[in-house]
Amino acid sequence: MIKVQSLVKEFIQKDGTSFRAVDEVTFDASNNEIVCLLGVNGAGKTTTMRILSTIFKPDSGKAEVEGYDVVTEADKVRENLGFLSGDTGLYQRLTPREFITYFGRLYGVPEGMIEHRIREMSEILDMNEFLDKKIEFLSSGMKQKVSIARSIIHNPPVMIFDEPTAGLDILTSRNIVSFIRDCRNQGKCVLFSTHIMREAERLADRIVMIHKGRVLKQGSLVEMREETNLSDLDDIFIYYINQANGELKVAANEF
Amino acid sequence: MNFKKAIVIYKKEMLELFRDKRTLFTTIILPVILYPLLFVGFSAIMSRQVDVLEKRGATIAFQDSLSFRTPETLAIRDSIYEDLKKIENFSIIPAPPAMEKLYQEGEIDAIVTVKDSLNVLQEPVLIVSIRYDGSGEKGMMVYHKLENRLLETSQKITAQRLEALHIDQQTLKPLEIKPIDTSTAEKKMGSVLGAMLPYLMILLLITGASVVAADLVAGEKERQTLETLLVSSVSRGEIVLGKYLTIVTMAMVNVVINLVSISFSIQYMLSQTGLDLEGIQMPINSFLILLLAMIPLATLFAAILLSISTFSRNMKEARTYEQPIMIIAMLLGMVSFLPTIEINNVLALAPIINIALLFKAVLIGNYQLSHLLLTIGSTLVLDVIAIWITVKLFNTESVLFRTQEEGGKIKIKNKRTFFSPFYGIVYFCLALVALYYLGGKWQTADLVNGLIQSELILILFPVLIVLRLGKYKPAEILRLNPPKAKELAIIPFIAISASTIVSIIAQVINHIFPFPQEYIEAMSRIFTQDISFWELFIVIALIPGICEEILFRGFLMRFFEQKHFWYPIITTAILFAVFHLDPFRFLPVLLLGILLGYLAMRTGSIVNSMFFHIINNTLAVVITTFGEQNWMKIFIQDGENLKYWVILPAIFIFIISMKVFNKITVSKEVQL
Repeated sequence: MIKVQSLVKEFIQKDGTSFRAVDEVTFDASNNEIVCLLGVNGAGKTTTMRILSTIFKPDSGKAEVEGYDVVTEADKVRENLGFLSGDTGLYQRLTPREFITYFGRLYGVPEGMIEHRIREMSEILDMNEFLDKKIEFLSSGMKQKVSIARSIIHNPPVMIFDEPTAGLDILTSRNIVSFIRDCRNQGKCVLFSTHIMREAERLADRIVMIHKGRVLKQGSLVEMREETNLSDLDDIFIYYINQANGELKVAANEF
Repeated sequence: MNFKKAIVIYKKEMLELFRDKRTLFTTIILPVILYPLLFVGFSAIMSRQVDVLEKRGATIAFQDSLSFRTPETLAIRDSIYEDLKKIENFSIIPAPPAMEKLYQEGEIDAIVTVKDSLNVLQEPVLIVSIRYDGSGEKGMMVYHKLENRLLETSQKITAQRLEALHIDQQTLKPLEIKPIDTSTAEKKMGSVLGAMLPYLMILLLITGASVVAADLVAGEKERQTLETLLVSSVSRGEIVLGKYLTIVTMAMVNVVINLVSISFSIQYMLSQTGLDLEGIQMPINSFLILLLAMIPLATLFAAILLSISTFSRNMKEARTYEQPIMIIAMLLGMVSFLPTIEINNVLALAPIINIALLFKAVLIGNYQLSHLLLTIGSTLVLDVIAIWITVKLFNTESVLFRTQEEGGKIKIKNKRTFFSPFYGIVYFCLALVALYYLGGKWQTADLVNGLIQSELILILFPVLIVLRLGKYKPAEILRLNPPKAKELAIIPFIAISASTIVSIIAQVINHIFPFPQEYIEAMSRIFTQDISFWELFIVIALIPGICEEILFRGFLMRFFEQKHFWYPIITTAILFAVFHLDPFRFLPVLLLGILLGYLAMRTGSIVNSMFFHIINNTLAVVITTFGEQNWMKIFIQDGENLKYWVILPAIFIFIISMKVFNKITVSKEVQL
């Protein structure tokens, strides 16, 4: 379960001015649900996810993962979280088995359990063939499988995927997409971000649209279609952006 | 902190490093092959070359230019000719017709000419000249062989003459010198090693550490694996510790392997030359102490290099930042080559220098436990500071994610304006050259006026002219903004305490590298001139304070402002230190420069840094003018040096006043 409330994150730019990457963002995601953060590049998706995964500290607002606060209980948050992004690098000189074991140990998973999980996951993900080859010799699809296995070695209840299919070929993306579905089916809470509308359309139970650091709209696709009378998510997205810009213009005119 | 997790990280890093062929090659295989090749191979090649050279022989032309052809001189000439003929592989030929041409073409290797003249007793003496080419190995070899043989001939003739006069040869040797060396073989070896080994060990430590350090964090950033590590259930402190242990291990492994390989190579080489190995023993006990003392140094290098690696965006950047650290470490390590400097309680506190000198003392066999403990202790303190900084950096988002945040969002590439680092460096070099040639000339002619002229004509005016030509607003560019009263109020506290700290650092440096006498005389010339305190104040404090701040914190700092808050400050401080053209004052001036830059950047006004600069220089004037007076005796020793204890209150005041300063000033980092 994820809870985000009025989250704010600012960065100081080179010219000294501050820039609000995340501006009063509020949403939640419960177990057994796939929530998609949808937005163009630079909308604030990655920053939000980095706050949730305890890499960044928020300037204000609150965020919880499985009931643990991301600032005060960062250790607990990390234990309950699996994190995967499309551009994650791997340690080239290790084998998948060593790589997954390494993270298993960092998560404090007992040795016997690590072995069991690796066996189990290599069956599901079809990794037996290359489990003991060095990662540098693997194809990108194989590497992505290793990353997936790494992210769930500690069997976390919450999964965060940051643009998980970015830069991957069609076959590998499909693996990821079906893996995300599996996670939901196992009862996990899944949050994933993308700028690809089709992916959101296919996967998400609920969509949180983010633009310029703010939440534009959230709800299920069905609700959004009803409200806008549009069927295509592209059009819906543009509709809400225009609506927000209009509101801004109105707000500006009032002064 | 969970040490188990740090060890998990450590083990994984070591595994990865040992699978990396490049690391494996540079840290293990290269030293194992390199030294035997270098020592054994090279010496074998050398001796073989010499052999070949000697066997090849030489052609020597023998020229007779005698004018008094007495039977005696002719006999000596013949004796020389016969003796030279006995040199193995040499062919001695009578001077051929085109001798000069053959010599120029290298057909003849040397020309031996026998001439004569009369000595004071009007007896004929023979002069044997040898023409040879001293630039080549062969020429030198030929000359030495000819010279040795001629000396033998000369001795033979002397002996014959003495015998004819019935004089015993021993009469010519009234004195015999008999050296009795009481040093042990171990001590002798120690003093040779003592000069070289500390430097070598420091060099090996830092190169060993730097090979892996850049890879460990900057490399993870580059390969995009750091994020995965950060989101896993491990604290930043555990990550730092695991990586830090890896660097320490690799540095120590590098040193040990290198030293073992070197010592085997040397022993092999010595045994090959057939030297008596009885006396020449590697001091094994000393080695153990050295290894022990090396651990804190390895940890210090590891911590410094790890913080650099953390700060850097990628490996290339990390390598660039490592360079100055390595150069400084090597320069400090060279202290072991200086014959007169020995470790004492003060030097035992100076980083790197203390280790170098301690190694030297250990190898010679006389070191004190107190020095060992002080050295290890003070290095460990620095160590903790460096690790603390690394953990801090690891917790600073802007540092850890510099790649993404800066690279992604703000990529508006400005066209090259005048205020870019390139022109900054060009301007600085021109100013430096002018100061070196013109300023130096003026100051030699008339010190006081020369100083004033240098400051005004070389430092201040060019800046104003450039701003005028570029139609810039001087007050705006130079940050000539009015300071706030509260800022001006706190500056004296910062200035006096910081100047004291920096002066003590300068004193320690002077202690290690005592000034050459000429230098002290040149420096004291200015103060011994017959001028009043106020005149000194104007020449030494007021004018430089204003002019140098306008050039450095006002003008030059603008050139480097496109980047991070600290970038212009540190770059300008380095230029400021270079500008003083004095390697021994580099560090003190650099530290002052950093502080001056910080004050100016933070308050947005160089009036503050001018005020600081003037106070700092005034203190020097006060100390040299009133140093001998009674009321100064509390702080001053020997009439010019601060007593060391004053550093404690100075540090205290400095910390407090900086805290106050930071509180009353709003960070321009955010506001600009």
